[in-house]
Amino acid sequence: MPDNWGFVLAAYGLAAVVLIAYWRFLSRREKELEDATAIRHDLRQGSSSHPRSEPASERPSL
Amino acid sequence: MRRLFGGVTLVGLLTGLVMGFGIAPREATQGNVQRIMYLHVPSVWVAYLAFGVVLVASIAYLVRRAESADRLAHASAEVGVLFTGLTIATGSIWGKPTWGTWWTWDARLTSVSILFVMYLGYLLLRGMIDDRERGARFAAVLGIVAAFNIPLVHFSVYWWRTLHQPPSLMKPGPGTMPGIIVAALLANFAAFTLLYVYFVTRRARLLRLEAEAEA
Repeated sequence: MPDNWGFVLAAYGLAAVVLIAYWRFLSRREKELEDATAIRHDLRQGSSSHPRSEPASERPSL
Repeated sequence: MRRLFGGVTLVGLLTGLVMGFGIAPREATQGNVQRIMYLHVPSVWVAYLAFGVVLVASIAYLVRRAESADRLAHASAEVGVLFTGLTIATGSIWGKPTWGTWWTWDARLTSVSILFVMYLGYLLLRGMIDDRERGARFAAVLGIVAAFNIPLVHFSVYWWRTLHQPPSLMKPGPGTMPGIIVAALLANFAAFTLLYVYFVTRRARLLRLEAEAEA
């Protein structure tokens, strides 16, 4: 029987493409979420270290 | 730690490739196209493992309502679908030169397609329900029901007359394959199992981060 290397290459190539694509999806999504978490963390820290000023519209000064 | 485990997994996969292409001999009947076996069979093993984990994690979720169990089931189902798809695709590529056809509705191919569609449905179900707790509960029930298809897939080659050959490894009785081919196959089983663990732990962590971001 002929060796059919083309079929072997197709099977392994397809598997490599699919697995690398999934790995890249995981890495990219992880980075996005970690960045978002870091930004939220920074915002929270920022708001706790700088207390909000009194709202200007609370009572108009006469 | 994660990078280290990723590195170990990569080394495992490379070892599997060396075993499959460098150490294992050319098969006498099929020729080199038989080397697709070192990819196809470990893929279906990972699919069985993944869906088995979905079953256990789904039961654990229904009993204890632990979100970590739900995340594990979700991650494992996704990776299982990925590897079932690979099993079907590589089997089809292997089938063309050996059987003369890309596809036939024989019992093994049909049952594994049903398995693929059921777990694809499981993932779609999770995405369709907005209420997280309700979605997790429904998915857990489906994760348990769908697992009944796993023995059907595995034993289909015994229960019906099929074009697909019976299992060479996961079967009762003495093995018929040469030791070196078994060794290459086992090396790839180990590498794919590592890859499964690597993917599932990363995906489960992502699901946790997503839940925290939404909270």
